[in-house]
Amino acid sequence: MTQFPDPIEQRPPDGGMPARRAVTRWAWRLLRREWRQQLLVLALIALAVAVTTVGVGVSANTPLSPYVGFGSAHDLATFSGNSASTTAKIASWRQRYGAVDVIDNETITVPGTVNSFDLRAQNPLGPFGGSLLLLTSGRYPAKASEVAVTEGVASDFNLKVGSSWTILGVTRRVVGTVENPKNLLDDFALVVPGQVAAPTEVVALFDAPRGTPLRTLGSNVLTPELVAQSNVLNPETISIALVTMVMLLIALVAIAGFTVIAQRRLRSIGMLGALGATDEHIKLVIRANGVFVGLVGAVLGFILGFAAWLAYRPILETSAHHVVGALELPWIVIVVAVVLAVLASSFASSRPARAMTRISAVSALSGRPAPPRQLRRSAIPGIVLVVVAFFLLGAAGASGGKGVGMGEVVLGFITLTISVVLLSPFLLTALDRLSRHASLAIRMAMRDLARYRARSGSALGAISIGVLIAMVVIIASAARFGNVLDYAGPNVSSTQLIIYTPNGPYGPRGPANDAPGGGTSKATTASMARSANSIADALGAHKIIELETTSATLQHAAPGRAYSGPLYVATPSLLRAFGIPGSAVEPTAEILSMRPGFSRITKMQIVYGNYFAAGGPSSGSWPCRAGSCLADPSVQEVSGLPSGTSAPNTVITEYALRRLGLKPITSGWLVETAKPLSAAQLTGARGAAAAAGMSIETKSSIPTSATIIDWATIVGTVLALGILAMTIGLIRSETAGDLRILTAAGASSRTRRNLTAATATALAFVGAAVGTSAAYVAMIGFSRTSALDGISSLASVPVMNLVMILVAMPLAAGIVGWLAARREPKGLSGQPLT
Amino acid sequence: MSIRHSLLALLSEGPKYGFQLRQEFEVSTGDVWPLNVGQVYTTLDRLERDGLAESDDLDTDERQRNFRITRAGEEELSRWLRTPPDLTQPPRDELVIKVLVAFRLPEVDVFEVIQVHRRYLVQLMQQWTRLKEDESHFDLAFALAVDAELFRLDSVVRWLDAADGRLRRFHLEAAEDRTVAPPRIRRRIGAHR
Amino acid sequence: MSMLELRNVSKVYGEGATEVDALSDIDLAVERGSLVAIMGPSGSGKSTLLTIAGSLELPTTGDVMINGTNVVGMSRYDKARLRRRTIGYVFQDFNLLAGLTAVENVSLPLELDGVPLKRARVQGMSALDALGLAHRAGRFPDELSGGERQRVAIARAVVGERSLLLADEPSGALDSVNGEAVMRMILAACHGGVAALVVTHDAKLASWADRVVFLRDGRAVDETLPPQPPEELLSQQATNP
Repeated sequence: MTQFPDPIEQRPPDGGMPARRAVTRWAWRLLRREWRQQLLVLALIALAVAVTTVGVGVSANTPLSPYVGFGSAHDLATFSGNSASTTAKIASWRQRYGAVDVIDNETITVPGTVNSFDLRAQNPLGPFGGSLLLLTSGRYPAKASEVAVTEGVASDFNLKVGSSWTILGVTRRVVGTVENPKNLLDDFALVVPGQVAAPTEVVALFDAPRGTPLRTLGSNVLTPELVAQSNVLNPETISIALVTMVMLLIALVAIAGFTVIAQRRLRSIGMLGALGATDEHIKLVIRANGVFVGLVGAVLGFILGFAAWLAYRPILETSAHHVVGALELPWIVIVVAVVLAVLASSFASSRPARAMTRISAVSALSGRPAPPRQLRRSAIPGIVLVVVAFFLLGAAGASGGKGVGMGEVVLGFITLTISVVLLSPFLLTALDRLSRHASLAIRMAMRDLARYRARSGSALGAISIGVLIAMVVIIASAARFGNVLDYAGPNVSSTQLIIYTPNGPYGPRGPANDAPGGGTSKATTASMARSANSIADALGAHKIIELETTSATLQHAAPGRAYSGPLYVATPSLLRAFGIPGSAVEPTAEILSMRPGFSRITKMQIVYGNYFAAGGPSSGSWPCRAGSCLADPSVQEVSGLPSGTSAPNTVITEYALRRLGLKPITSGWLVETAKPLSAAQLTGARGAAAAAGMSIETKSSIPTSATIIDWATIVGTVLALGILAMTIGLIRSETAGDLRILTAAGASSRTRRNLTAATATALAFVGAAVGTSAAYVAMIGFSRTSALDGISSLASVPVMNLVMILVAMPLAAGIVGWLAARREPKGLSGQPLT
Repeated sequence: MSIRHSLLALLSEGPKYGFQLRQEFEVSTGDVWPLNVGQVYTTLDRLERDGLAESDDLDTDERQRNFRITRAGEEELSRWLRTPPDLTQPPRDELVIKVLVAFRLPEVDVFEVIQVHRRYLVQLMQQWTRLKEDESHFDLAFALAVDAELFRLDSVVRWLDAADGRLRRFHLEAAEDRTVAPPRIRRRIGAHR
Repeated sequence: MSMLELRNVSKVYGEGATEVDALSDIDLAVERGSLVAIMGPSGSGKSTLLTIAGSLELPTTGDVMINGTNVVGMSRYDKARLRRRTIGYVFQDFNLLAGLTAVENVSLPLELDGVPLKRARVQGMSALDALGLAHRAGRFPDELSGGERQRVAIARAVVGERSLLLADEPSGALDSVNGEAVMRMILAACHGGVAALVVTHDAKLASWADRVVFLRDGRAVDETLPPQPPEELLSQQATNP
């Protein structure tokens, strides 16, 4: 029959590479032809990778990176002022580690304003600081009589290149304009090294060998590792964690998608088997398809994401106040996302691949798939894993702090996720049994969900996990923010700002900074008050409230969380400023607080005076010794006090002061403006305060509890509905045959709609229920053993959000399903697959 | 039969001698229907008598006589080509009768009778197909004629299959105690005569 | 030794009350170079016989000998290899894989067996050429006519020294001219040494075979005798006008 030499003995036993190539080639051709059928999974993957690309680019560049000041150095030392020890230290580093880039900064207030700038002596050609300088016109100063300024300074002093400028008694000629590309808000005047006689801050950049213990370097030295440690939840790690979760969800949806694809190709696969392809070849067809889909989706996603990033970059630069390079993306995260996409897709296709090999060639050829295998899979592994997760999280809770507990938390969540995926199909079976007496449409819907477990099981798993994540965030936030003792939340509002004196609670010499709190002279206090007032005026503030403290604080003499926050004095002016009439305060009240439920906390005590001399506050015994502590003070809840954690939310009354013989001292001023403070205003205020020897506190980026919880609810709902929409589309196309038969048998369009609505509602509700239950399992397991927050912390239940996810979301799914079923679904599969 | 019309067709190509006509007729029907030599000359005589053909020398033998088609002959040929034969009266088919008889006689297995005939027919078809394949690339006329025979035999086989099916169903229903007498409505087909 | 031999083959589907005897006590042998047709009404078990002969299904009892080796008891792996190297299938429709060209379809069994791409293509092209389809080698199945598709299927069924051809209603979806062409090609393959087993309900197509076996309710009830020489047929005609 053939005239060509082709010794059969030389052929590899299983077909070898030529067989695999042939099969892969066919898989690729099929994908190219039928890509529309796989659009769903392709789009999901592309979207995930695109969003990741843009998202990590934005989040990595948005906050002023804590690594900004490092330039290209590994170590950054900050000295407050130039002293002999500073010079000696720097010299010793030069000797040991080679080059040291020294930057002298003297903060100068622009007279008559709150603006300030740095007179900066830096070598533009320095080994490490070069990336912190950019010349925008003219040239760098070369002589002592030359200076280059930033735009801000130039406009403040009406300078341009060539002008003459006198500052601090020295006249110099402006030879160029500069900027700090890493922080465009940085206003400074650049002079040659040595020109700054009395720097307020000296920064030294150098490269100590990795692993040099920080003890030898000093406590004022920072390294990127130190920064990273205190910054564990940095954008990169969060992104990778998020991408992993997202890919897991996509994989679950993709399982359903690939199962459908495989069943559509049943006939051809049967033919392939008839031609003599082995099981491995058949599996390869489906798996190759999975890998291709993952690759194409990821590449497309990256291109889209990169294009979006390029488009968004100018906007980002404006809002982030620093130059953002076009290629300044966290490439590692992006590569990880692409790899994860391919892995997720490949993993998702391996189950349908195996299922295909179990169908006999004969039934495959006839296009009749085997009836879905009702595996008598046991629920035991899933239950076991739930228990394991419970105890793992318990172990994490018991260990208290980070570090040791982190591993158990991660492992516990992974275990919980797997158990959710394993257990959710059983609920479908239960639903099927429960709906025996329901109407035809509902019975059919439940039966189909229970029969085609590959599709509905994975969809349900995905929805449950989405809800699980959202619910964990919601419950944890509610528990944490619900704690009134260790009060958490935004520190001040966006229209508020606190100026601290050096000995204020958060001032440079206050108790919070481990320095002895001493009094300051009246004169110093008065001049500080004047500075504070001028800062407030410059900001256009309409309220400035003097804050006084005393050497007393609150203590909770029981294990668990400790009292947090300053304890200011309830002076008449403070109470007036917050609209609290004197008559509203009980005369014998010792503590006033706006924290809800604060008055019900037992074992509170005020510790004062001598108590501190014995080495600082610590949780003491109960009841404490008289003379240094007052047990069970009388607490009155006053809702008029401000809610910020750094604002006077809890105050000690003058009555208590008199009773305990304490004296108040001025420690700061709370400034309130009408409009939110801009970044420029804040920078200016900061500089002016620094010039006066004070520090300021402004609104940090901690969101309110309500913000977190609501966002989590919305994201969880949208995620669940999105997953539902995709899988319902798949399921409907598969049951098109059933629906046609139904319609032919006389069922009305209402039956059709009820069917779709029932499917959607069932999946949504079961997913929400499973996800919520799993979240509570996790949180109960964790807080049961946690020293900080016992189970009681879970008592603050965010009812509205629970209702939203458990009730509103499934209802919405049902309604949308009902509406969307109006049109008869186009039978994409061609043949009914029963 | 239509020997006379086939001869007329041959004559319409042009005048021909008797023996020519005989030869060409044999060739054109491809040896499928072998012909009695005498039939050709008898038919030619009849054609002349009916005025559809003519010849000059009536004395000589038909074999050597030169025949021509007449006007009437051409019209007759044209009419014949365009007129479908009368098929309203089905011919009395021996096989159908056999099957009907076998069905009525209780000691006879009608299905065995059907199978015997089926086998015979298929065997015959095998031979015809073999013949056609051996010769078809040089004889189109032969192929057409054999095709006709194959289709005819095939139609009988199909009827046997259909009869088989009907009889089976009837037996199944009878076995289920359904005493329904076979319908005895007789139809007269092609009643005009 | 026959190329294909079914010995006492039976196939039962289902169990207990729903038992169905698809085939009972089938004995069949197909020699190299011969074309055997299986005729029978639907439900007679024709297709089951073919799938069992082709190692796609196992008989409940009996042996299936292909080239002297018993297929029953072979591993899935070895059966797959048998199908790659020895057995060729032609179905009524949907033979070819969409997404692969005609020549790629034809060379697929060779590639699956490990023949390097170039050599497989060459063999595929020559098989197509023998059936007069070399000029359509680069077309996809949806660009070919029904007759062309079946011819490509036959090419694939005989490529690479394949010696057993199994066809299930190969002309079923074609008109009579194309149908005949398909049978002609199968016959040509038989003349080249292939053993062919064709399942059909059409007597005209079955008449192409050297032997026709009649199947009824899963049993072989009859078969045609070997055909007479053609001259005898013609002389018979002469005596029966």
